[in-house]
Amino acid sequence: MLPNLSKALEGIVVCDFSWVGAGPIATNVLGQCGAEVIKIESKSRPDLLRTGGPFKDGFNDGLERSGYFANRNPNKKGIALDMSHPKARAVAVRLIKKSDIIINNFRVGQMEKWGLGWDDVQKINPRIIYVTMSLQGETGPQKSYMGFGVNLNALCGLTAQACFPGERPFGTGTNYTDHVMAPSHTLFGIMAALLEREQTGKGQTVAISQLKSAISMAPMSAMAYAANGDILGPAGLGDPNAAPHGLFTTLGYRRWIAIAVFSEGEWQALKKVMGNPAWAEDRKLGTLQGRKDNEAALNDHMEAWTRGLHGDQLMAELLRNGVRAGVVNDARGAIEDGHLRERGFWSYLDHPVMGRTLYNRAPIRLSKTPLRMVTAAPLLGQHTREVLKGMLDYTDEEIATLTEEKVLV
Amino acid sequence: MNKCGSLSNLRIIDFTGELGPYASKLYTGLGADVIHIEPITGDPLRDVGPFYKNQAGKESSLQFVYYNSGKRGIALDLNKKNGRELFVELCKDADLLFESFPPGYLESLGLSYDVLSAVNPKLVQTSITPFGSFGPYSSYPGSDLTCSALGGFLYLAGIDNEKPVRACDNQSYRMAEVYAAVGSSIAALFAQRTGVGQFVDVSCMEAVGMALETAAQCWDLEGVLRRGRGREAGTATIHPCKDGFVALVAIMGRNKVMWDPFVEWMKDEGVEEWEIFDNANWINASYRESKEGYDLFCRIFERFSMKHTKQYLYDAGQAHRVAISPVSNGKDLLENPQLNYHEFWKPLYHEPVGGEVLCPGPPYDFGSLKWSLGDFAPIFGQHTAEVLVECGYSRDEINALDREGVIHVAKS
Repeated sequence: MLPNLSKALEGIVVCDFSWVGAGPIATNVLGQCGAEVIKIESKSRPDLLRTGGPFKDGFNDGLERSGYFANRNPNKKGIALDMSHPKARAVAVRLIKKSDIIINNFRVGQMEKWGLGWDDVQKINPRIIYVTMSLQGETGPQKSYMGFGVNLNALCGLTAQACFPGERPFGTGTNYTDHVMAPSHTLFGIMAALLEREQTGKGQTVAISQLKSAISMAPMSAMAYAANGDILGPAGLGDPNAAPHGLFTTLGYRRWIAIAVFSEGEWQALKKVMGNPAWAEDRKLGTLQGRKDNEAALNDHMEAWTRGLHGDQLMAELLRNGVRAGVVNDARGAIEDGHLRERGFWSYLDHPVMGRTLYNRAPIRLSKTPLRMVTAAPLLGQHTREVLKGMLDYTDEEIATLTEEKVLV
Repeated sequence: MNKCGSLSNLRIIDFTGELGPYASKLYTGLGADVIHIEPITGDPLRDVGPFYKNQAGKESSLQFVYYNSGKRGIALDLNKKNGRELFVELCKDADLLFESFPPGYLESLGLSYDVLSAVNPKLVQTSITPFGSFGPYSSYPGSDLTCSALGGFLYLAGIDNEKPVRACDNQSYRMAEVYAAVGSSIAALFAQRTGVGQFVDVSCMEAVGMALETAAQCWDLEGVLRRGRGREAGTATIHPCKDGFVALVAIMGRNKVMWDPFVEWMKDEGVEEWEIFDNANWINASYRESKEGYDLFCRIFERFSMKHTKQYLYDAGQAHRVAISPVSNGKDLLENPQLNYHEFWKPLYHEPVGGEVLCPGPPYDFGSLKWSLGDFAPIFGQHTAEVLVECGYSRDEINALDREGVIHVAKS
């Protein structure tokens, strides 16, 4: 029988113990592709992001108003299961029997404490993919060192170059590594294991190192040092193969435009858009090398030109002429951008407490099995009954008993 | 059939250049057969530094070496009819195709997804471009900087009225590539189960939308346009030390449980004026964000940090359960004891330059799948003849195509 042709991951079930950042982002993508993601929390151990801002209308009240949490958890079913209760494990085991993937990002040892380490889970379901996510690996002298995304950005080498010469390194201003590097490698690891399972019929462990994932996407500082003994210092906004290459002030509050000129043709096109000013005809600026050698003066000229112009109009004019350009959008700009809208990047989903709020889908457009944004993030325990009854075959009486015994809270 | 512990049953065609190569590298690492096609003029990534021993040359780009090691390399000219036929031939047996041509280019050559899928219905074609294959910007040229700007990512890399700063290693390209690997693997699983391939459209501008953290929700829920973190005392701040900088997260929100170990550490170190940190003021984000709070924090903490190395601060802070880490440069990364404990850095003997290039190792460990760096990145046209023989071309045909400039065969 052909599976439902509209969902790429039809029939894949995820037992999701992950919380906070990288884990939920990974399972979010699986959910958008049609997997059934069951997120496990409890009142005594809610996902910590539920208490992280921003909050709907700015009110930090209860566990159901966080936008930080919401955007990482749409299209999932939420169940409340207090794993510290001795009767909780049996419920988890029923779910594990039905699951293709089990994922957690707890400290090493937590799942084992619940009797749900790999050795146990493998016996319950030999086809399962068992995913763990550590910061720096599960062995070694710094295995228990802690850190947030900002720490990992710094540790992996990303922050050092994200710096204007003579200033303090800055980085991305976000917990970047948590949002892209760790979840994307987790997803690829999961899919590789599922692809192998098609051949072998067997599950396996997938252990992500967040640090190593990050380095894999930003390897040049280490490779250049190993090859040449060079320390790659503050990169500012420059690029060795382009000039001008930077952000230039335009009219308005905190408005800049990015302009990147790599080829001779692009330089000629830029000059044309600028109206061929006399300064740009200086022979020193006639070659990329010349422009690199005189980049500060070049940037001053560019800034003097752009500062009286509207960024959006300038961008359109530059792009029409084949010059790579883009305004520096703030979040509102990106949300209202016509291109992202037409591509359906943003969607609004209805939530019982927050109302209709904004989510983004994963940056993948599949022509025959499109990603779907269907349900908002779950309330804590919103789907406990539905999942236990509909999926795990518990009776109403059993569910009532487990609720009374404070297992399902 | 699979060799156990590898994805060797997957055949992948990678026709990408500066944008795209990390996607298929992820498969290469797990044993898939990846054929990297270069245009007859060579992959432009070969001309991008840094270079091995700082000697520019077609075989010494460290980026080309890293992103293409383990792949086989062939060169062909799509502008020639024979070249297009060969390309279709290669796609006939492939599971996945990655390409980063401007939208419409392959169609203009008669190589649209419909054409390729007619000869191979299970083919998954993944296109990686600045703006994606449709939408108002799709035909525009883009770069890492402009895609990072338009997607809202760059705006976060600064505070107040500061101009944003750019992250290294073309992150908007890397984000698109890693999501291209994810999207293609999801489509590949579907194709294995149903026999139905599809077209996967990945855009850099969209991919950076994954990196906005809370920014989109700050606007949607609170009407606030946030910028970067980095000037709230002890909350994601960067501080100078004796030999560089450290990153510190000593508190978030009103979390006193996080702050206490930091105060304990300062006390144990005998930091001058440490008592000032032992005050409820610091639990208040608004105080930490104030100029007074930030300046005071820096004055006290940096008088201490400037006396010590980043490694000392890392170890001593972590021993007190404080989230502090070095701002690593390349040297720090190579000397990192944790990475070296795992023998993370892998030497790759790169034959064309006669020396070893050190590369990152696996981002993950599997129970069964084995990761490897593979052979050195191919010389221009290194595997052209080998791959064409596999496709059923005779030696005479290969020589003729080489002479006509349809393909390039490296002279061994």
